Amino acid sequence: MGITESILNRVGLGAKKPSGDQPVTYWSRNRGWLLLAVTGALFATYPFLPFITDYWIDVAFFVGVYALLGLSLNIVLGEVGLFDLGHTAFYAIGAYVTAILNTSLHVPIIVLLPLSALVAAGFAYLVTSPVIHLKGDYLCIVTIGIGEIVRLTMINNPFNLTGGPNGINGIGGPNLFGLAINSSTQFYFYTWIIIGIIVFGLIRLQHSRIGRAWNYIREDATAAEASGVDVRSYKLLAFVLGAALAGIAGNLYASKQMSVSPQSFTFIESSLLFCIVLLGGLGSIPGSILGAAVVVVFPEVFRQFASYRLLFFGLALMLMMIFRPGGMWPRKREGTGLDGLGIRGLPKKDEDLIPLGKPDPAILKPATTAVVRGVKLPPVTVAMDEGMLLQTHGTTLKFGGLTAVNNFDLNVQTGKITSLIGPNGAGKTTLFNMITGIYKPTAGQIDFLGRDITDLKPHTIISYGIARTFQNIRLFPSLTCIENIMSGPHCHARSGTWAAVMHTVAEVREERDIVATAAYRLDQVGLWKYRNELAKNLPYGKQRYLEIARALATSPHLLILDEPSSGLNDKESEDLMVLLQALVKEGFTLLLIEHDMQVVMGISDWVAVMDMGQKIAEGLPKDVYNNQRVIEAYLGKEDD
Amino acid sequence: MATFVEQLINGLTIGSFYALVALGYSMVYGVMKLINFAHGDLFALGSYLGYTLLIASSSWVTVHFGLWGGMAIAMLFAFVGIGLAGVLMERIAYRPVYPAGRLSLVVSALGMSIFLQNGIMAIWGSRPQAYPAAVVPSTRFSLLGLPVTTLQVVILLLSFTLMLIIWFIVEKTTFGAAIRATALDRSTATLMGIDVRVVIFFIFALGPALGGIAGVMNGLYYRAISFNMGWTYGLKAFTATILGGIGNIPGAMIGGLLLGLMESLFAGYVSGAWKDVFVFVILIVVLLWRPTGLLGEKTAEKV
Repeated sequence: MGITESILNRVGLGAKKPSGDQPVTYWSRNRGWLLLAVTGALFATYPFLPFITDYWIDVAFFVGVYALLGLSLNIVLGEVGLFDLGHTAFYAIGAYVTAILNTSLHVPIIVLLPLSALVAAGFAYLVTSPVIHLKGDYLCIVTIGIGEIVRLTMINNPFNLTGGPNGINGIGGPNLFGLAINSSTQFYFYTWIIIGIIVFGLIRLQHSRIGRAWNYIREDATAAEASGVDVRSYKLLAFVLGAALAGIAGNLYASKQMSVSPQSFTFIESSLLFCIVLLGGLGSIPGSILGAAVVVVFPEVFRQFASYRLLFFGLALMLMMIFRPGGMWPRKREGTGLDGLGIRGLPKKDEDLIPLGKPDPAILKPATTAVVRGVKLPPVTVAMDEGMLLQTHGTTLKFGGLTAVNNFDLNVQTGKITSLIGPNGAGKTTLFNMITGIYKPTAGQIDFLGRDITDLKPHTIISYGIARTFQNIRLFPSLTCIENIMSGPHCHARSGTWAAVMHTVAEVREERDIVATAAYRLDQVGLWKYRNELAKNLPYGKQRYLEIARALATSPHLLILDEPSSGLNDKESEDLMVLLQALVKEGFTLLLIEHDMQVVMGISDWVAVMDMGQKIAEGLPKDVYNNQRVIEAYLGKEDD
Repeated sequence: MATFVEQLINGLTIGSFYALVALGYSMVYGVMKLINFAHGDLFALGSYLGYTLLIASSSWVTVHFGLWGGMAIAMLFAFVGIGLAGVLMERIAYRPVYPAGRLSLVVSALGMSIFLQNGIMAIWGSRPQAYPAAVVPSTRFSLLGLPVTTLQVVILLLSFTLMLIIWFIVEKTTFGAAIRATALDRSTATLMGIDVRVVIFFIFALGPALGGIAGVMNGLYYRAISFNMGWTYGLKAFTATILGGIGNIPGAMIGGLLLGLMESLFAGYVSGAWKDVFVFVILIVVLLWRPTGLLGEKTAEKV
């Protein structure tokens, strides 16, 4: 916010900050359609404007190709936040598949359009699935490596397929049911209509559980996994979809140029795509298109400066990042209201959502049947003690020579509050991390609802009904509060990519359920009025509640809270105790790590004490309170 | 056997260029968490600075100070010049962008790289230039019956000395401890009384300066230089850095030397055209086996 703007706001003259309750005007209701009509009209008339020559129509075609590439990289880099600096590889695969199959087997270009996408997507799946777990810069260098390997392979002409450094010439043009596409104007329309269809799909995807899952991963992959998002699969999906779009761009490029050669697919090309996404704004669809326009048109406008134009371009990139690091058209999340979520059939008044999200008490009861909210549970195989929800048996974790948790047996009774206490560094959080699947125990077994969950991944464990919060709050900072909580029901929803793009009946219903559940939980923790604020802008205490609401929204049987009262003042702690007791009444089982003895003694039904990774005592709160070993663990041994 | 030793020496020489550039990469990365894509172009700029000095006024430097003297002055010139360029680069392109986060820094670095590359082209032209034969020492001697140029030996000795000095500074001195502390946690380092600005100044002066020297050596060794060679070397050096474990000083050296050796041995025995493919495949395999590079520390994320 500029200084002038903030002053205007302070004196009440600035533009009104839109909120959920602002009056609906004709403009705000139909803004999307009006914008669409204007852009459509602009695109349709562009080639017929008097001063537009074929040359500039071709420029617009290349803006289209780069826009498509930008959009495709935007999925990987913008939505999921994966550093992909070898995206040109997929573009190259699309172009070469088109070139090879068209020149040697005379497959029509129009058939090759989907085929290029498929081959590029398949290639992306093959090469990224072994490396997808690599972190940040390591993944970045691998993508650079993949890009270079593809380019060098094209140069080296294996099996005489790629034509070596000169590439392949004589590729035909597309033929649409008898209409041959070869003039500049025809290519322009052909390309931009394809882009229009793709943008339509991408916008819908962005506003579905898939788009949100991608954003959760970008914001905090660990928290996303712990909220029930299958991080690995969604990352792969992003790469595969991104590669498919890049493959389409390759097909368009090859059929327009009628030739392909390795020079078009260098590392600098990949880095230009990277710049397109960042120039436009991470995760912004109009931004990517605008970024492509800048990257393609800028050098054209400065053509008379010949060799200096790229010099200016480099300078412009740096200046952009200094003065507008968020990009030209960043995606706005706050202030769009719940409408911004793009979910159909929401009630007129936001408040009417809350009662819709009230859960069916049956789903909070520990499942005896094999299906919980659409999640197929494996059959019960483990014998549990009577009334126990969770049991750990001899759970042990060693980090190198250090035994963090040693042979620990923990029993959590259904419908009760169990507290795990102990001095700092005793291994409490480590035990929680094993229960929720973030660490794999070195030895021992963890049983939940009669099922062995020891070797399951975090997102699967969540969908079985164990939710958690973190010791150091882990939210999705740049998403709104309601979006944060909508990650909870994610793991119980089933709609896939296609359903999201087509807005199938089931998908629309599922989305409405997700937002209603989120609304109910948000209201339950008293944060409803912050629904459209970004999570990072909430004060600390409210962030804790937001995290609890997110965990509740997964409709768990067992809620694990890691030091929920840390950083809260006395009043806030008391409120928390009231909330926790209300949750137990609602049917949840609670497991806490807690240092605040007032909270522990006040609400716990059972207390286990951990020191140096071992259980040193357990029992009713008052017994543990007076236990000699516990006192020693906290205060040290009294000298005689 | 003869080709083996020849390829070995050749590989070590190229490897030492990679290692010197990778050192700068790694140092900057350690402190700034920034992949400095412009680093390779500073290396190229160093090559051009040395070239300009050596051809100036009909090799005035070489004529007055002799072959080796001229070489030394050219390297010193590139060292100082590129050191200054590195500091300037940090001021212009990175410091103002730093608060905006890592992705913006990457774009700024790419912008800087494009700027430098085209700047070199604007000044020295797009055609490759060549270090004149008159300024390059061509004496040879026989090592175990193999002809070796004195230049090769000098390059190797100098590179290893420089690497040792850097290793000593970073690992053994108090200032080195300040650098390592800043790399681990910038705000804590500040609280401990470390002037982070001095550390950054030093990193951005020394890292690129090493690349500048490597640039001159590269020019003397291969003679031909071109405005866009920074991309290739930058990419290779980045690969070497990751191979060894990013932010790790001995890792960068070992990564660079290994990369040079693998490249020249593969080119000598299997295929020159596929050598870069081989290098990247090896890199990917290494990362699958050790996700943080050969010497990189295994970091368990705290949750």
